[in-house]
Amino acid sequence: MSTSRLLTQEFEYFAPHTLKEALDLLYKYKDEEVKILAGGTDLLVKMKTLDMKIDYLINLKEIPELKAVETNNQGLKIGATVPLSQLERREIIKEKYPALYEGIKSMAAIAIRNMATLPGNICNASPAGDTIPPLMVYEAQLRIVSKEGERLVPVEDFLRGVGETIIRKEELVSQVIIPAPPSNSGSAFSKKSRVKADIAKINLAIWLEREGKTCKDARIVLGSVFIKALRAKRAEGLLKGEMVSKELLTQVARQAAEEIKPIDDVRSTAEYRTTLARVMVEDTLKLAWERAGGELEG
Amino acid sequence: MKKTEIEFTLNGKKKKVEVKPSDLLINLIREELYLTGTKYACGIGECGACTVLLDGEPVLSCLTLAITVAGKEITTIEGLAQDEELHPLQRAFLEQGAVQCGFCTPGMILTATALLKEKPQATEEEIRDYMRGNLCRCTGYVQIIKAIKSCTTGGEN
Amino acid sequence: MEKQQFDFVGKDFAIKNVGKVTGKEVYSGDVSIPGQLYAVVLRSPYAHAEIKKVDYSEAEKMGAICIGPEDVPDYLYNERIVSIPDKTYRDRTVLPKDKVRHVGEALATCAAETEEEALAALKKIKVEWGRKWKPLVTLEEAMEDEAPPIHDYVYLGEEKVKIKNNIACTRDIEVGDMERGFEEADTVVERTFSTPRIYHLQMETKSAVCVPEADGGITVWVTSQGIHNVRILLGNIFNLPLNKVNVKRVTLGGSFGSSIQMNSITPICVALALKAKRPVKLVSTREDDLYDHAKYPLITKLKVGAKKDGTLTAAHCRVWVEIGGHNIQAYPYLGCVAGWFASLYRWKNLKYEGKAVYTNKVPTCAMQGYGNPQINFAVESLMDILAEELGMDPIELRLKNYVGKGEEFWGQGPTVRSIIRSCGVEEMLVEGAKLAEWEKRTLPLEKEGEIRRGIGVARGFHTSGTGGPNPGETIDYSGATIKINEDGSVDVLTALMDHGGGTWEAAAKIVAEVLKVPYEKVGIYNVDTRTTVFDVNTHATRGVYCGGGAVKYVAEKVKELLLNYAATLFKDLPENLELSCNHELGQAVIYPREIPENYKTLGEIAEYAHITSWGTLAYTATLRQKNCPPCFITHFVEVEVNTRTGEISIPRAVILGDSGTILNPALWEGQIIGAFSRGLGFALLEETKYDLKEGKLECKGMITDYKIPTTLEMPKLDNLLVRSAHTYEPTGPFGAKGIGEAALSSVGSAVANAIYNAIGIRFYELPITPEKVLKAWKEKEREESQERVGDKLNEY
Repeated sequence: MSTSRLLTQEFEYFAPHTLKEALDLLYKYKDEEVKILAGGTDLLVKMKTLDMKIDYLINLKEIPELKAVETNNQGLKIGATVPLSQLERREIIKEKYPALYEGIKSMAAIAIRNMATLPGNICNASPAGDTIPPLMVYEAQLRIVSKEGERLVPVEDFLRGVGETIIRKEELVSQVIIPAPPSNSGSAFSKKSRVKADIAKINLAIWLEREGKTCKDARIVLGSVFIKALRAKRAEGLLKGEMVSKELLTQVARQAAEEIKPIDDVRSTAEYRTTLARVMVEDTLKLAWERAGGELEG
Repeated sequence: MKKTEIEFTLNGKKKKVEVKPSDLLINLIREELYLTGTKYACGIGECGACTVLLDGEPVLSCLTLAITVAGKEITTIEGLAQDEELHPLQRAFLEQGAVQCGFCTPGMILTATALLKEKPQATEEEIRDYMRGNLCRCTGYVQIIKAIKSCTTGGEN
Repeated sequence: MEKQQFDFVGKDFAIKNVGKVTGKEVYSGDVSIPGQLYAVVLRSPYAHAEIKKVDYSEAEKMGAICIGPEDVPDYLYNERIVSIPDKTYRDRTVLPKDKVRHVGEALATCAAETEEEALAALKKIKVEWGRKWKPLVTLEEAMEDEAPPIHDYVYLGEEKVKIKNNIACTRDIEVGDMERGFEEADTVVERTFSTPRIYHLQMETKSAVCVPEADGGITVWVTSQGIHNVRILLGNIFNLPLNKVNVKRVTLGGSFGSSIQMNSITPICVALALKAKRPVKLVSTREDDLYDHAKYPLITKLKVGAKKDGTLTAAHCRVWVEIGGHNIQAYPYLGCVAGWFASLYRWKNLKYEGKAVYTNKVPTCAMQGYGNPQINFAVESLMDILAEELGMDPIELRLKNYVGKGEEFWGQGPTVRSIIRSCGVEEMLVEGAKLAEWEKRTLPLEKEGEIRRGIGVARGFHTSGTGGPNPGETIDYSGATIKINEDGSVDVLTALMDHGGGTWEAAAKIVAEVLKVPYEKVGIYNVDTRTTVFDVNTHATRGVYCGGGAVKYVAEKVKELLLNYAATLFKDLPENLELSCNHELGQAVIYPREIPENYKTLGEIAEYAHITSWGTLAYTATLRQKNCPPCFITHFVEVEVNTRTGEISIPRAVILGDSGTILNPALWEGQIIGAFSRGLGFALLEETKYDLKEGKLECKGMITDYKIPTTLEMPKLDNLLVRSAHTYEPTGPFGAKGIGEAALSSVGSAVANAIYNAIGIRFYELPITPEKVLKAWKEKEREESQERVGDKLNEY
């Protein structure tokens, strides 16, 4: 029996001050029900609304090294507990990673964004997670650490399905690494929802690299249209190496809409999502192309 | 469950309390410390009625574990007025008719204080965007937005 | 129109709301009593199932106090006792005795030292279920012959009534000769409309605190729009003398009609407290609250006839409402729907047939309008359709046929009627058209592009209270005690509730105006049933008109006492004395007419009455208003429809209200704008959908999936124009009528009419979501392209 008024779980709480301590704890309790607390905006809702067992809770928010944001020519490294609102306030994110900026700004509202984190949004693995399509089009990687070592995994490979990821029980995501996008590239995010502060009916991010009038490279990722964020690879294929025209973008958008596998649910219908995928991909392609410095004719 | 003593600052005063790991900040504030201006309305972070300021930033006390605020500074609606003097936002809310049933008001005002700190010259669009997570079923928001606008530097009225 | 200069009426003060901005205001869930237990409620996972046994012995072994179906009184009641007993259907007990009738129906309850402990105990309760039936979710399946009966028998007053085909009640009304009316018509239009169940989503979840008193009585703090009805019901249910039930008035965190009835958790909390012999506090979770109440839906089949010149000749209105598992006064609801319908336009000949049907869903109740926005959507949509058929301007058709001054208004169904004495309909339609630039309106066919802009108009109203020359089926009176304190300050003791809309502000201003006492010296506080006379409820937009009317009546009696007493001090006749407010002194003063310098302050007079042991200048009385004047509203709404995404936005709206004299201008505007946002939710967004198999809410009781408008869905500040008509209601306190429910009545209709004007598609079902718009738009484009192909072929 759950209630939104309180937590009924009984668990032990840890607030380690170093990453090593946190990893030791994770290792020690890897055969028990351990949860990691970063922002808590998804975890606590789940603890309240689902009959969820939890033996140990490890709060990462007191670990200084996870609060850092590093920027250099190679890109961005965002610590696991940096709140989303801190990211949206950084000029570099607004300028160089507009799809991520727009994705974050589209989420819930300020109080939630003051609490929620990027790894939290990713590890929650909702098909509708708003930061996931942007991170995927920027080819972001996750630094996954455990007592025994670390590995770098692209966000795209990290996600498996609704609420499912490849992370192991003794591991945690310590950092999100986003490579610097090349110049002559442009990106954008788009989302439709019932009201502005809401879970997406459909969301998507597009990244394009331009060489003159040709699209050198493209990544198109749609959310809330499959069990996890979906890369429209055939649509990308139609763009790569091609001269960009309005007709081509229309064709790419149509292709993207064919690749998705949406369902009817409480937020929208499969039919609507399919139509919107086409409309939104087309509009977002145009915007990303413009941001890449491209012009559109015809 | 084991109780832990934590110390934190509540509305400018040091507080020492014993909490269980599962205790929520909202229930600590309301049921243990009897500051009932912080409201429960949805419990799942969808409405903003339980908003408090954590080190000056609005957060949702219904999704915050009490134990995690150890060493931090919490401001609730009760901590906003200085002695008998109302905070300018509190006054503006009254003057503009931005208060009807009042249940969303504490969360609204606390969120608005953070907005004005971050953007003293906030435009109407910025106010609407910043306040979008605080639900109000009575007012239709217009007078709330007006009240906040009137407290911006260069705000009318 | 009477012109009056007021000292306080129509001025903006907001000092009654200080507690709400400082966090000091106390709502029922904020009340804590030393030694209190916390209660939680076990709710049914099934929509329609027989309860064989509820065993809470394990829970009690953990130290919890528990209540199950067998522990509650057998007394059948209706939680809403605004109607007279003979017209009140009774079908429920505190907890269901035989079976549950909707998912989320309360089944048992536990109280313990903490909420955690109570929940832990609740988990130990074992329920043995008997037969389970397939939930009846839709109106159609509930009325089928083979459908399982949700109730076999209920009571209407003291009469036992057999329920057939799950039809809870019906209401048929005829005026004139409908058949002949349609024969006279040149044009007849008929359509079917439907409005959804929506959830109130008042910010405060329903809560109660109950203290069992030493004398066997109880004191309760509850979420309620009317504390005296809660007192009467609790007395009846628990067989307590009515003077031993004391219900405290606490501030409401929004309600919108959902606490006209006594909330289902209230008697549950009382039952626990009586058994525990300790105070018990019960705060509903949002999940529980979503499974506790919803707005009445409505299906309307409406047929209207008119002559070529637009004169209406007849109407046939058939309505169906599925009410959920219990009947919270569907009978007056059907009556009121008839009344709103009959009073919108001069149909001349009308026939109305209404049916209310039980389903295995959350019980429905009033939500701002009691059927008014629902029927308004049908009527105001059909008026636009008719105008188009007749080739008339929609405003012209409305002006020609609206029911106005001198005509009869049905304020609460067919039995509560009075003559309209103030009416701003014409002014609002004409002035509103100018403000909204109605003449620039283009037809759907003339528009092009991705984003189509349209404008729509709709008008509505609501009653101000349920009074009338003759008492009808509805109980309606209010009262107050007003006393002048020894320093000249004034206390108003009234059970009149304020939802936040300004009822208290209005009442205080009325008293200030009558007694000429500065507004800030008029105190109006949370009191209780023991210290106040009866007030039926703040519902039916009656707060200012009826509650304020009663307060004014009592204040005038106090004034009479005051002048009579003052006359003895001045050695003059009362009628020679003048009472006025001396703003410099901040006091009311009395002086012999024409000799203001010989004044005595109210404080001096009151103190003298005190030290000479004359007594307190005080009066207590109740008053029933003898009219139910309509407050009118007109909405001009502009929409933008994105034809590629189906999204609808509201760039602009002009709203005009007719409330007679406006007592609280800022709050009056706030009522109108607030209703506008709720209307947008109703029109575009909100619906509590059920899964057909299990009868559960699709949103699972989470508002994550029940969206209401936020700051971003409202028009910009400069694009929302609110104006007032220039009217004066002769029967109202200082010329005032109501506004609350009127403000919502025509929002949905205006939005739907605007959407039609934008894209040429008529929607008959709310909410009009992007999904529906896009689907309809695609169909329209397909049809049009087929027509074009057809036309092309014809050319060959």
